Amino acid sequence: MTKRQQTIPEPRNRESVEFGLIMENYNIILFLCNWGPHAAYQQLQDNGYQIPPEVKMVRIPCTGRISKALLFKAFEMGADGVAIVGCNSGACRYGSGTLTAENNTEDTRSIIDLLGMGKERMRLATFLPDESGALKTFLADFCEEIKAMGKSPVLPSASRPPETSGESVRQILARYDANSCQDCGKCTASCPLALSGKAYSPRNLVSDIIRGNDTAGKINADIHACLTCGICYERCPSNVNFPEFIRDMRCILNRDGEGSDRTQPHGGFFQSLMRTMTSPAILPDRWKWLPEDIQTDPDGKILFFGGCAPYFDAFFKKHQQVNTVDIIADALRLLNFFDVRPRLMEAERCCGHDLLWSGDRTNFLRLAKLNTEMIRDLGIETVITACPECYHTMSLEYPKNGIQPGFTVMHLYTFLEHEIDKGAVTFKPLPHRITYQDSCRMNRMEEIRDLPRKLIQRLSVEQFREMKDSGLSALCCGNCAWTGCDAYTKALQVKRIRQAHDTGSDLMVTSCPKCQIHLRCAMEDPFQEAELKMEMTDLTSLIARTICWE
Amino acid sequence: MARKINKQEVIVTGFGGQGIVLAGKILGMAAALGDHKESTLVQSYGPESRGGACCAQVIISDRVIQYPYVNMADVLVCMSQSAYEKYKDQIKPEGYLITDKDLVKPDGRREVFDIPATRMAEELGRKMMANIIMLGFVTAVSTLVSEKAAREAVNSSVPKGTEEMNLKAFTKGFEYGLSKLKGKEKKAAGKTGAIA
Repeated sequence: MTKRQQTIPEPRNRESVEFGLIMENYNIILFLCNWGPHAAYQQLQDNGYQIPPEVKMVRIPCTGRISKALLFKAFEMGADGVAIVGCNSGACRYGSGTLTAENNTEDTRSIIDLLGMGKERMRLATFLPDESGALKTFLADFCEEIKAMGKSPVLPSASRPPETSGESVRQILARYDANSCQDCGKCTASCPLALSGKAYSPRNLVSDIIRGNDTAGKINADIHACLTCGICYERCPSNVNFPEFIRDMRCILNRDGEGSDRTQPHGGFFQSLMRTMTSPAILPDRWKWLPEDIQTDPDGKILFFGGCAPYFDAFFKKHQQVNTVDIIADALRLLNFFDVRPRLMEAERCCGHDLLWSGDRTNFLRLAKLNTEMIRDLGIETVITACPECYHTMSLEYPKNGIQPGFTVMHLYTFLEHEIDKGAVTFKPLPHRITYQDSCRMNRMEEIRDLPRKLIQRLSVEQFREMKDSGLSALCCGNCAWTGCDAYTKALQVKRIRQAHDTGSDLMVTSCPKCQIHLRCAMEDPFQEAELKMEMTDLTSLIARTICWE
Repeated sequence: MARKINKQEVIVTGFGGQGIVLAGKILGMAAALGDHKESTLVQSYGPESRGGACCAQVIISDRVIQYPYVNMADVLVCMSQSAYEKYKDQIKPEGYLITDKDLVKPDGRREVFDIPATRMAEELGRKMMANIIMLGFVTAVSTLVSEKAAREAVNSSVPKGTEEMNLKAFTKGFEYGLSKLKGKEKKAAGKTGAIA
């Protein structure tokens, strides 16, 4: 707690606020609905009221149109407070705008709260056209509150110069030996996007890039559409690492201002969130939801790295049963079961996976450095994580990008397999027929590839049956790094869910929280919901639910 | 009055060919050579070594042992059902009963420490190492010999060239034993599963 107190910027003293010395330093964004409240706002101006200078008003058609991504983006760009002001519920010109705004505000508030910024930095209010007095009070009050809270800890990414790598397309082609392509087309024949009907060909994409017109729109779109699942790499006789090639191409496009920002699903919310976490002054408050039965050790040498699940849950709260923090809680319970009381890092940040794979290497490196430095400062020897992406990123990508962690990174499955193999534990019978959805990142890492199946074999379930495409040829859940979501990825997800149903199973077991989020989204189809619906659980939770001493 | 002699009597029993006598021998050697105690071994000869119930009687004591036969055991290790039936009454009320989980169905009248030693040996690739796994388990759950002494005795008693494999088997059994103890402790504290 002492660290937290030290780094929170001190509130300015009252006098200087009153003399207006630092007023201009504050940025308060006011999203103001065109209809009800804007009339009140104009009335204030007509009557000669000076709107506080730190308030930057953005006139909008309806509060319902301001997505979570837009609300959050304001903070990423350096806002100290965001007010979204609309019409009273029922007075909304478009019917549901106010309700949507309420939901968006609530979710975004809980996310900035998890980030440790304080949810008070964001407010939703509604005014009728004749309530100018109330609006005036609201504005003064909000400005006062924000000033009392002090400046936002976020360092706007635009204010920091990006690292320019100066890398050329030619260098990347050479790195992955893309010129050795034999034009056999095995990649296209196995690409899940191509197989779900998209006009998409990894082979053509590479030859187009080799030919040199790498800025053409279609090529850029294709570079951003790749799922980076890695089946093509598995199939390629010349061993061209297509997913990593795509990743590095994305970094180049991003550097040259051709990034995927405009096409990122969820309005780029998650990329925005992760970039925000690169500010060193941010001190996330991400563990407050932790159930009381979980034991941790504040001085331990083993750290449990949770991952972004709490943010996902807050963001997808309105969607069916996205509850990925359970995976973290169950992972911790399993560690406790084997007498390991891990340490938790209060200010844990995103591992950076999604930034790296959506082309933002600069901010990935910032996150990687912050994470490794903080973990090292705690004197941690081993980091255990239950997320395949965190594991992949910390154990492989950090060292590859020149950041030596100085601690061992271990996946929870490795720990569990080691402990369970010692014996004397058993599994309660589980009345389910199960199938398993592979995680792409885990599948491409030899040392942990077989572990999920080894663990599943130990469970005592009614039946375990593999889907038609499983193991190394498994189908991706349809999205990676919050990029490229379209009708074809949806078709791919539907295909995958059908494969799961074809096994005769009633429970799909996953090992990556994002597989759950994406496949659940596909199940929300209004026409095929009944047909697609299937229960889903993470393997970690399944083990935690059934493991017991013999 | 003489001070209480710290003496433990063990019966290791099972089919002939399971390495029962070797297990008894290693146990005695560990006590004598590693832990510097007195120990004796009586092994059964005769038809047992062709497949019947086979038995090794080991006594470990910190005084000279006057009489090497075991009437009532402190630790009874059974690796076959027939051996269990034959010896199950030759165990002290406070003694330990240790069995191969897959080969012995105990009558449930006393607490059992069981380990699927034969199955684990098969998983390791050599069914005949079940005795070493069992030895590791016995070392972990009982106070007969120290781990270090047992390891050294295994190392010097098994055929040349198989030391590494046998020590691995010993470790398997030993870790299983530690897990078992931990599990019993947790169960006694009312914690059986991971979710409260």
